[in-house]
Amino acid sequence: MKARIFFLLIVPALLAQAGCATVQPWEKGKLAKPEMTFGGDKLETRYADHIYTSREAASGGAGVGGGGCGCN
Amino acid sequence: MTTSRQPPQDLAASLLAAALLLPGVQALADEPPQGGSISLRYLDYADRQSGLDRIRAHSPSIAVTAPVASDWSIEGTLTADDVSGASPRYHTAVSGASHMQDERKAGDIAVTRYFRRGTLTAGAAYSTEHDYVSRALSLNGTVSSEDNNTTWAFGIAGSRDRIDPVNHVVVDEHKRTLSILAGVTRVLTPNDIGQLTLTRTNGDGYLNDPYKLFDNRPRSRRQNTVLLRWNHFVDSTGGTSRLSYRYYSDSFRIRAHTLSGEYVQPLGGGWSIVPELRLYTQSAAYFYYDPVYDGTLGPPFPPGFASAEPNRLSSPDQRLSGFGAVTAGLKVQREIGKLWTVDVKVEGYEQRGNWRLFHDGSPGLAPLHARIFQVGLTRRW
Amino acid sequence: MMGARTTRVLRMAVVLAAALEASTASALDKGAAAPTFDLPGKDGTVQLAKYQGKLVYVDFWASWCGPCRQSFPWMNEMQAKYGARGLQVVGVNLDAKTDDARRFLAETPARFAIAFDPAGATPRAYGIKGMPSSVLIGPDGKVLYEHAGFKEADRAELEQVIRKALGGAQ
Repeated sequence: MKARIFFLLIVPALLAQAGCATVQPWEKGKLAKPEMTFGGDKLETRYADHIYTSREAASGGAGVGGGGCGCN
Repeated sequence: MTTSRQPPQDLAASLLAAALLLPGVQALADEPPQGGSISLRYLDYADRQSGLDRIRAHSPSIAVTAPVASDWSIEGTLTADDVSGASPRYHTAVSGASHMQDERKAGDIAVTRYFRRGTLTAGAAYSTEHDYVSRALSLNGTVSSEDNNTTWAFGIAGSRDRIDPVNHVVVDEHKRTLSILAGVTRVLTPNDIGQLTLTRTNGDGYLNDPYKLFDNRPRSRRQNTVLLRWNHFVDSTGGTSRLSYRYYSDSFRIRAHTLSGEYVQPLGGGWSIVPELRLYTQSAAYFYYDPVYDGTLGPPFPPGFASAEPNRLSSPDQRLSGFGAVTAGLKVQREIGKLWTVDVKVEGYEQRGNWRLFHDGSPGLAPLHARIFQVGLTRRW
Repeated sequence: MMGARTTRVLRMAVVLAAALEASTASALDKGAAAPTFDLPGKDGTVQLAKYQGKLVYVDFWASWCGPCRQSFPWMNEMQAKYGARGLQVVGVNLDAKTDDARRFLAETPARFAIAFDPAGATPRAYGIKGMPSSVLIGPDGKVLYEHAGFKEADRAELEQVIRKALGGAQ
């Protein structure tokens, strides 16, 4: 229960405050590279999620909205 | 089983990045993509256990993204999974394995509206196979701070599945899920970006695996995940490290940790290589029973079967046992001109009871090995 | 008849929608004196002071910025169309590595003044909030208009602003 409170309240607050100085818009050249974004190739991520939910108990994490399957 | 989708900020970023060969734009986080793209991808999956081939899957898919008017974008994917082979009916037993061959077709579509400081995405997904039909709807939104250094994400999704197993163990069963998501993405330095995402899923209905013996699961499942991701650009090499950690827990009392990392190294001439490593560990579901069978009846009967209450929860499904797993892979990618990208990816996966971290894994199960091969082609315009 | 709860939710939704659509506040107010700059350029140095008396359209851009690629042909068009009437377009490049900017210019040529500011002092002085950003400076050296981003729909609006500013000028 305590761990849950920590994650729900403290960590988002820390993350929102993290970073010593505000990064200016013109300093975001490296962040603009595709490999610096989250998610990556959509189909590649889809295959990985599909394989792991078919072979392991854990599922989800990055997003919500995909349908299910009777994957065996 | 549910598959997850990317939240809209990833979607917007992916669309944008896909539209440009050279660095994609993230400076204006909520800009619609400059151009569209078509991607084709093919997956070849095969696993083995106890020295025998188990499941083989071939899966071609296509994804299309396109900007619409000045403030909208649309994307859609289609997949066909051709799956065949044999699965154990209980634990990792080779005898009496259920042989199957099925083709699953799935499609989804998402429409995004871009606002000055945020986005809103509505999505629908549909999947059909011989014995399972799934329908899902989702709504995701993002809100960015004025300096675009902080983006909050929210999502809600629901699915309705219908299950009609070919062995008629049950007929016309249903499963419903409702998921919510909350997350924050933060630009930390010109070389670092971090993300925290929380999700919660409630599932109700028929959750058993009809092809496994003595598989009787609760009719509800509550799942929680906490995902932390961090991308870091290395100035000295021009490469990018992408790390993630996910904590999973559910009402089956399964706890799982997933730690994965990949490193993108551009090599010049449009080439790049991406080695990856993923470590996974999970605990067993509280109703999972080890391959120790009833003294009188023998396998596959769980101990005390004869005198047990008929609706007792149980499952001999390896996926609900305690184990650890490792994936190692390598992707090679080539950007050709400004419009084309091609890539090839090879991965090996192994799952073992005694690889479980921090505690003992479930005993008596044969290790599972899988090899995964993918090839992809993307064309932008 | 709406309950109190519904009214509250609707009010929150309206505020959220307004927040999503609200214009970004600018660091430089209209009418403020535009900060001067003296930067190395594509063809010799570029000084804001040299353009006193002209209508100056300063555009902050970088090679990694997608909308910038769209804005260059438009800026070439503006310079060609209104240059004789006193418009001067100045593109201030903010790439950390000037080589990236030169590569961009080789593919997307600029027929207007280009200055290089890898240190980022100029956008900081102008309080730039997004990429790309443009600032319209009047002949008297005062800020007339600011704009962040560049979409198809922005072309007409920006051209209107330029015409209006030139309309009164000699």
